[in-house]
Amino acid sequence: MLWGVPRDAPLPGRRGGRVNALIRHTMCALIPSGGALPGVAECGVDAWIVRFRAETSVMMWIGVVAGSVLFVLTPVWTLGLPVPSLWLGPERLDAHASRLGASSIYPLRQLVLLVKMMACLCWGVDPRVRAVFALAPYPPDPGTWRS
Amino acid sequence: MALVSHLAFSETDVEADADVIVVGSGAGGASIAVHLARAGVRVLVIEAGAWRAGSDLPSSAYGSMRDLLDNWASNLTMGRAGWPIVQARTVGGTTVINSAICVRTPADVFARWQAETGVGGGLADRVWAHQDALERELSVQEVPAGAFGRSNTLATEAATALGWHDHAMRRYVAGCAGSGQCIQGCRALRKQSVDVVFLPEVRARSGVVWSNAPVDRVVFERGRAVGVRGRFRDPTGRRGGRFVARAPRVVVAASATHGPALLRRSGLRGAVGTGFRAHPGSGVIGLYDDPVDMNTGATQGWASMVMRDTPGLKLETLALPLDMLASRFPGFGAAWVRQIAQYRYAAHWVHAVRAESVGRVWSGPFGQPVVWYGLDKADMVRMRDGVYAVARLHVAAGARAVMPGVAGVPGVIDRDSVGILADGPLDPRAYTGILSHLFGGAPMGADPRASACGEDGAVHGVEGLFVADASMIPSNLGVNPQHTIMALARCVGDGILARA
Repeated sequence: MLWGVPRDAPLPGRRGGRVNALIRHTMCALIPSGGALPGVAECGVDAWIVRFRAETSVMMWIGVVAGSVLFVLTPVWTLGLPVPSLWLGPERLDAHASRLGASSIYPLRQLVLLVKMMACLCWGVDPRVRAVFALAPYPPDPGTWRS
Repeated sequence: MALVSHLAFSETDVEADADVIVVGSGAGGASIAVHLARAGVRVLVIEAGAWRAGSDLPSSAYGSMRDLLDNWASNLTMGRAGWPIVQARTVGGTTVINSAICVRTPADVFARWQAETGVGGGLADRVWAHQDALERELSVQEVPAGAFGRSNTLATEAATALGWHDHAMRRYVAGCAGSGQCIQGCRALRKQSVDVVFLPEVRARSGVVWSNAPVDRVVFERGRAVGVRGRFRDPTGRRGGRFVARAPRVVVAASATHGPALLRRSGLRGAVGTGFRAHPGSGVIGLYDDPVDMNTGATQGWASMVMRDTPGLKLETLALPLDMLASRFPGFGAAWVRQIAQYRYAAHWVHAVRAESVGRVWSGPFGQPVVWYGLDKADMVRMRDGVYAVARLHVAAGARAVMPGVAGVPGVIDRDSVGILADGPLDPRAYTGILSHLFGGAPMGADPRASACGEDGAVHGVEGLFVADASMIPSNLGVNPQHTIMALARCVGDGILARA
């Protein structure tokens, strides 16, 4: 395991795997499970990140990576704890997420919001999530075009 | 001219000629293309995005961002706040992803154009005549009661309670099924987007459409536009052959951002890139005691123009898919889970600001448009008023709380406390705003020093080059712009036919 990601997960190399793991950690902190709702961790987030990395724009990818790195590095600012967020227990991680997301610093707030938006794109298509809200499962996105 | 009527990609270099080249296949480009094709003109439409129709269309918000939105909607305004500029990059342009709202150009808009830019003598009558025809061609009808859904019904009840004039939207939709999938593209093909209606007709009338074909430059010879050049690139990023298309007339209809950027890349200056305007807006979520299930029914079915003149707002319902709207629910972590659990009880309504602020469009280092745009204080007051107005609507409809999405005020405000929004912040960075309706960048006007083109779309000082989309609109409209864009494009087409 590497930061909670199986080593045999379809990751694009060790360095890429670590970056993906940072994003996964941040997304899971922002969108945890609760009540009847699964968290993004239960919604295939690992495969989703691999796919997102392959398909998204450079700007979007840079933004998500930057937001995740900031998230990991800033418990010292939000909680006064000089450790990466990877080391925080569930309650402190949740407090870190809430405080960082409500930051008065605009770029910081926007980067965290961007990661949350992307996590919601993964989370909101999961059939179990949609069933909770009486929404029909989505058909697959074909990704095709007229030739 | 190539023998095929749709060329999606080519590994090898391609050359072609036509009577008129239209760059861009959205509301403006497709409208002028079909107008010219009906007159027997050989039209070549060149579109940067792919052609996705019916079964190609995505279902999810992720798929919509990947397949339909320009650069994943990650083009941000440069300024104090970075607000996303939402537009499509696909055959059919933004008509594929919008809610197909049809609003006639108000008379006061033409009066303003005439007073401020010197255009408009008879333009209103010509635009309205084309809008008559467009409404017939595109099956314009009010959202049927069966597709209204509870969110739109609640908004109607709220307007009645407040005494605000409102209306069911008129849309380019033939028999709306209320699937709530406008933003992902209508897989049921009920929405009469221009890729469904006009572009097939262009092909049937001997016109040709190239897709996955971003244009790099307009080509000039002796001060006259004679064609365009670019290079095929498919949605996976695979580069194909280069293309050169030649025609005695070139129409740029590539949107209010890409159009001016293309013209500037091509060496044009002066007023090209100036006069960019928009309808910035944001949404407020209302929470109700009973399920709303906003994704049942038309994506947008209700609107009110009661504040169009003062303070300058348009109010609308907007049902976004769960995967897109979930991040707008306040909080992070466990706090967010508690809020999103109420999704079925939520309705999302929006306001669009009739902003007077003006920006600029440049061509970035990689050819992408760079938009410098920010709201002045008067527009920020309108923005704040808009949030408050939508919150009041929710309260009038019976909402127990609202989620305004404004930093610095509580994420959830109970119905008795929405008054705090009237004194909300005036910092654009506090708002979760977007730019949806875009105007200008190559504005029309009588003065070549202050405008890029005339009311006939002809670019000042360049023979054979025309603008025929939102970029020629010199002011904000205060209404949804698609109907105006399409009719203006046809007026430009009339001018081209008259010159031929």
